[in-house]
Amino acid sequence: MKLAELAEPEILPVTTENVVRLPLGLLGFEDIKQYVLLSKPDEAPFLWLQMLDDPNLAFLVVPPAAVISDYSPDISPEEVEFLGLIDSQDTLVFNIVTLRSSGNGTVNLKGPIIVNRHTLIGKQVVPLNAMDYSSQHPLPI
Amino acid sequence: MLVLSRKLNESIVIDGRIVVTIVRVEGDVVKLGIQASRDVPVHRQEVYEEIQKANQGALTKGRPAVPKLPQKPSPPSATPSRSTEKSIPAQEKKIT
Repeated sequence: MKLAELAEPEILPVTTENVVRLPLGLLGFEDIKQYVLLSKPDEAPFLWLQMLDDPNLAFLVVPPAAVISDYSPDISPEEVEFLGLIDSQDTLVFNIVTLRSSGNGTVNLKGPIIVNRHTLIGKQVVPLNAMDYSSQHPLPI
Repeated sequence: MLVLSRKLNESIVIDGRIVVTIVRVEGDVVKLGIQASRDVPVHRQEVYEEIQKANQGALTKGRPAVPKLPQKPSPPSATPSRSTEKSIPAQEKKIT
């Protein structure tokens, strides 16, 4: 399944807290399976994935369309099945941002978080075409 | 490290639930087929480590100020397409 330009943060009510479940965790954080997706208007298009059980710890994420115009991760049939996706419109896509010094940052395009927008179950996937993307793509600042 | 010799199309079984099969050997490239349940993540090691390292570097304490992105017109929405690639049987993963 090809995913392209699909994540649209505005579909989430900005004041609502949404719990996203990652049954396999994030790579390197396999034991952390529940996150709260937080969005604030003045931080758009960025959102936070905050650990449900440890609100002090969070990952900054961004919909890829906000940082790159032609992002199209190719998701394997196993991932599609795991996430229960019927159509690519079922997805929210987020990429994790690493904040760097002087207000800059990079985006990991190699390991997107794909979320089924109906179930809010997600997974950090390595797309079939991951080699086409950088894990340290500079933010367009 | 346990070292086992296997021929083409032979397999090893790990923990009674993960089967790794030698699918093809071409020069110094070995294609492996991995059969495991969907909750067993399988990754190429270098890719796993790269993303793991990126995740660890991205974790923040609290929620620091986020960068400001320049405003840009929203791109036209792309038409999603179903993958036309050959589908491999469910729960079978191939790693080169």
